Amino acid sequence: MDDSTKRLLQRLMRRIPSQMLQTILDKWAHLSREDLHSLDFTQPKWVLTEHLLALCEENGLRVKHITELEMIYIIENPNQGMWHGFQLLDAEEDAPSIELTQFKEQFKANLTELISHVSIKIKKHTDEAIWIRVAWGDNFTKPYHLKPTYVVHHLQTPYVFVTGVTSKHKPLLNQALVLATRYSSMKDAHLSGRNLTAIRDLLMRQYQQVFPTKHPKPLQEKNPVPRNPNIEKEQAENTENRLQMACEAFGDGTLPQLQKAVYKLETKFRDNSNKTLTGREEPFRGVVEFASTNLLESLRHCVSSGMASTPVTPLLSSITQKGRNYFVITDKGV
Amino acid sequence: MEEARKGLLGHLNMLEMEANNLELQQQELRQRGRQEELSANLQALLSKRDQLKVEIKANTSLQKMRTLLDRTGVPYERNEDVDDLEDGSDNSQLLLMMARHTQLKDLLHAHHLIGGYDVLQTRKGKGVCVSLATAYEGVYLETYNLEIDLGSNLRICRHNIPPFIPLERLVTQGNMQTDIRDFLDTLSQYLNAYAGRKQQLHLTKEIHSSVQVAESNALCTILVLMFTIPGEKAETTLCTLQYADHTQRLPTRVNIESEDTALASSPQWKKNQALLLETPLHTALVTMKKTGSIA
Repeated sequence: MDDSTKRLLQRLMRRIPSQMLQTILDKWAHLSREDLHSLDFTQPKWVLTEHLLALCEENGLRVKHITELEMIYIIENPNQGMWHGFQLLDAEEDAPSIELTQFKEQFKANLTELISHVSIKIKKHTDEAIWIRVAWGDNFTKPYHLKPTYVVHHLQTPYVFVTGVTSKHKPLLNQALVLATRYSSMKDAHLSGRNLTAIRDLLMRQYQQVFPTKHPKPLQEKNPVPRNPNIEKEQAENTENRLQMACEAFGDGTLPQLQKAVYKLETKFRDNSNKTLTGREEPFRGVVEFASTNLLESLRHCVSSGMASTPVTPLLSSITQKGRNYFVITDKGV
Repeated sequence: MEEARKGLLGHLNMLEMEANNLELQQQELRQRGRQEELSANLQALLSKRDQLKVEIKANTSLQKMRTLLDRTGVPYERNEDVDDLEDGSDNSQLLLMMARHTQLKDLLHAHHLIGGYDVLQTRKGKGVCVSLATAYEGVYLETYNLEIDLGSNLRICRHNIPPFIPLERLVTQGNMQTDIRDFLDTLSQYLNAYAGRKQQLHLTKEIHSSVQVAESNALCTILVLMFTIPGEKAETTLCTLQYADHTQRLPTRVNIESEDTALASSPQWKKNQALLLETPLHTALVTMKKTGSIA
């Protein structure tokens, strides 16, 4: 095993937390049972790493096996790094009938045509998602495995999720994906976050949405604030309305965990009390950022408790309705 | 002493008389109050009766209009039966609209009861919410919703239809602006077919644990199953089912591959192939198990 492979394995071992190590090595299945048993998981990690390195050398494992290990780890723990959502546009006739082997061949062929030294690994996960790992090289160097790009795509949906791609390689990746999925172009969906499951659920609408029904069941507030029975009676109808509107705008139950919503303002300044800034021709540039550990949950609570006025302003409800968290607001609208 | 007694008695008499007078006055007051109350009640009841009479009249004419509409589909503006209508054509137009409204609501309710879609008005008439129910083999599955904005152009503001159903294509192809029923019917067809295929796969996985699913996709249009053939050799056979028509619950192509190359062309497996093309997956597998084709 050469130096770069050793470094790759060492880095990977540092990333994987100790409690997951055993399960991941089991899944990897490139070490024999006796070898696995010989590893003592109670030892400190650097000792374990040395032992593992020796075993890998013995078994003649190479870069492609180590990258497989990394892929298994990332698939198990996808909620790290920054994921960006992209949307494919204008499906061609045969886009709905693309199947897995066809996609794999097309993607590999396209990407290797565009850039000769790439290392591509494609894996299908049990939940119908295709995971692609790409390590980029260029015409003269071998692929650099320490900064790979990961792509997640569900067949027959127009969405792609990418992490770890540089601006140099982005157009190449886009082109290969567009050709392989038989669409005509790909655009930024303006949705990003650390949590892959959250942005995937938001774009593919896999969270619990609420629609107006004929027999509305009274929605229960999950975390009731301390109550005063007199105030409650007077405000019962209002509270119910607010809760219904909050749930219609954001969803019911557990919501996808978004961390940020960014609104870039390019509107003219409009406060008459401030003479210096009003009346200028150029727009007043500003950026409003909402950040939270679970943004949608906080927004929903703001609406249902009355802190935000109802009906829910389309600026906030667009986060779930359009599935984005980066907006540019001009004077004409969002 | 007599005078004193007379004075006292007289005083007492006077008090007694005053007390009697007061009582009489009070009684009169009470009676008057009661009378006023009763007459107010009477007025209220009379006006309520008049209101109810008017409502009954309107309802009966509405009913008559509705039965006419149901029976013939064409409303009569002037009819000998409908002789209560004195106000002329304005009122009859209004009644006609109301009758059609109730007819439409009943039709939608009936449609909803048989498992079709249902439409609700939202946002005080500025939007509608269509809920499409899906069902397979008599079991209700998911309900999908569409919220449509009623402007000069119909626009879908939000929905929870999964992204692999080609909604935009159906909107343009089905001409949602001009023929919303066509669009909703096609969408319902796609959703019901998808729900049916998904349910077949789910039942297959549950009931037939000896059959392994090698590949499937989210839209349930491609399925690769692995069968084990009973016998001493316990061979495996790969069966690929392709559902090219997304509005159907049955496959369009069935491919059988096996390690034993003669198997696919044997008459029993030719029959199995035909069976898989014609019956739902989980029932076909039951038959195949009974005939001993698969374990």
